[in-house]
Amino acid sequence: MPHQRNSSIQNPEALERQRQYELFQESLPKVNALVYQMLLNEIIPLSSHVENQLQTIPMEEFSEDQTESQLKDLSLEEKQVSNPSSSDQLIYKLSQLADEDENEFNNTLKRVRDIGIKLGTRLTNLLVFTNNVNLNFKEMDLLLIMKFICRDVWKQIFGKQIDNLKTNHRGTFYLIDYDYALIQDFCIETNTIPSQLNEEVITSKELKLVEPFLELPVGIIKGVLLSLGYPLEEVICLATFIDKPREKIRNGFPKGISFHVQITKPNQQQ
Amino acid sequence: MSKSRSSSLSAHAAALSSKSTANQSKFFKTLGEDIWKNKIEKINAELFVMTYGVIVQQLCQDLNNDYIKINENLFSMGYNIGVRLIEDFLARTALPRCPNMTMTSEVISKVAFKIFLNITPQIENWNTNRDSFSIILTENPLTEFVELPQDAMKQLWYSNIICGVLKGALEMVQLDCDVNFMTDVLRGDLTTEIKIKLNKILKDEIPLGED
Amino acid sequence: MIYSFWIFDRHCNCIFEREWTLANSNNTNAMGNGTINSKQNDEVGKLLYGMIFSLNSVTQKLSSSLSENQINNNIRSISTGKFRIHTMQTATGLWFILVTDFKQQNYSQVLQYIYSHIYVKYVVHNLLSPYDFALNPKEQRGQGIKRINNRHFINSLEAFLQPMLT
Repeated sequence: MPHQRNSSIQNPEALERQRQYELFQESLPKVNALVYQMLLNEIIPLSSHVENQLQTIPMEEFSEDQTESQLKDLSLEEKQVSNPSSSDQLIYKLSQLADEDENEFNNTLKRVRDIGIKLGTRLTNLLVFTNNVNLNFKEMDLLLIMKFICRDVWKQIFGKQIDNLKTNHRGTFYLIDYDYALIQDFCIETNTIPSQLNEEVITSKELKLVEPFLELPVGIIKGVLLSLGYPLEEVICLATFIDKPREKIRNGFPKGISFHVQITKPNQQQ
Repeated sequence: MSKSRSSSLSAHAAALSSKSTANQSKFFKTLGEDIWKNKIEKINAELFVMTYGVIVQQLCQDLNNDYIKINENLFSMGYNIGVRLIEDFLARTALPRCPNMTMTSEVISKVAFKIFLNITPQIENWNTNRDSFSIILTENPLTEFVELPQDAMKQLWYSNIICGVLKGALEMVQLDCDVNFMTDVLRGDLTTEIKIKLNKILKDEIPLGED
Repeated sequence: MIYSFWIFDRHCNCIFEREWTLANSNNTNAMGNGTINSKQNDEVGKLLYGMIFSLNSVTQKLSSSLSENQINNNIRSISTGKFRIHTMQTATGLWFILVTDFKQQNYSQVLQYIYSHIYVKYVVHNLLSPYDFALNPKEQRGQGIKRINNRHFINSLEAFLQPMLT
């Protein structure tokens, strides 16, 4: 679904300003996009690792014997496993935690989301102050803000725009990304080859492993809305997996993401 | 994969063995610049700075400004990135293992830092054994416009993730090194210096029964 | 004609094996013929690795005595009367190996492609996959059993090598 740009580029002045803006963007210092992607993805195992550390600290308040034996167990374990806090192991353990300790699991998700929120607010501030001809924040209503998220925010962070934006024009939006960039190469590792396994079971395990990763874009959306005047309590944002349309099924991640955004107190403006 | 890519990659290996140190240096510089210019997808550095800043900020919040723990977490995050990043690096450059720390330092500064962060730090402070050197970051893409609060200035190594990345990457090519910040302009020092010291070359494993 | 493809890691473990000549035994797979990561090829794998490892060690020793300035002179191919083995070793100690007939002289681009575009993409950049398949010292030195089983990796590999099988 093509998005109409705010200002139609008709007059030569606007065209020239657009060109200047693009030249300026090209001249800015750059960094390898892959490194950025890895940094973003590592946020999830890091958040889990931090939660583990926060959980073990209270134990040190107990008797010395107890902590000593716990520490001994830890060091034995660590001797046996070459890198106990490798990213993949942290992710699998996090998935188990969802069933074992909901509290810890939710804390980790909240941490990822909080990082996303900060990222969303800071990016908005960054983009507000750029000289982008097509962005006019003074006149933005909710719909234009959502389009801003779909085009500019998504393009900056993930290298592509949101594929589809749906709204009921009453404060509910669906942002659909069929190929959410950060998870395209993700695929669950199993103990035997795929043909010997139940495909449905494997797919559902895989989706469960990836769920925590969705909290980051959820946070980003909330963060952008927060910095443009919509407090966190008034915004509901939930991510779910959806099927890809037939044309889009390649060897990437099997599902797309749908972000359901609802503003609980839509103002008069739209 | 075109034939020309494959032959140019094997040319690397041949070139490396026959060139003098000065030519090797030039070769790495060209390699790094060429890959950066032509084969890398890029994003604005300010986005990168901002994102890293958010991560450090969140760590400070969660770990209650315990800067020792924050340094450790930044290091382990970097380690997990480094052990994977090295494979991407090797796939792109097809470089073989370096025979000595001199070449290792050249590869790190002219190729690795160039293609990942678009900077070329200086290498200085070699020890007499030639197994320890310092990387001087004249520019640091992580710290543009960053200022540290007073208490952080004494204990936090803001860019410690870089040390983790280097440690992880070097370990995967059998170099067990200590990688640590020595000074940081963010802490009021004159330079930003990371020291790399080779502890030992890890022996390649021999299949059980072959020794 | 490609007979088999192997990946060994720095712990001397076979972490992936695809074989195209054996008939469908107890290890069925979607592509119809041959085996993937099948236990029955364990012994062959160990022999193959042992041979490549030993030959490579000898080569390194010969190289260093022949010329002072040699860096990493690795084995690239080994030929017998009936087949040729093509190898590529990365600085991280991964071995990518193809066993083929004599139709094609050089498979180094193929091996390089598999490393850069299949292994790096679906194992290294995939955070749901380990980067180190040996979890503890008992699984090192050739005693590990963990394999790459993720379907994206396998499907990409099949798609890439299929046209070259005959």
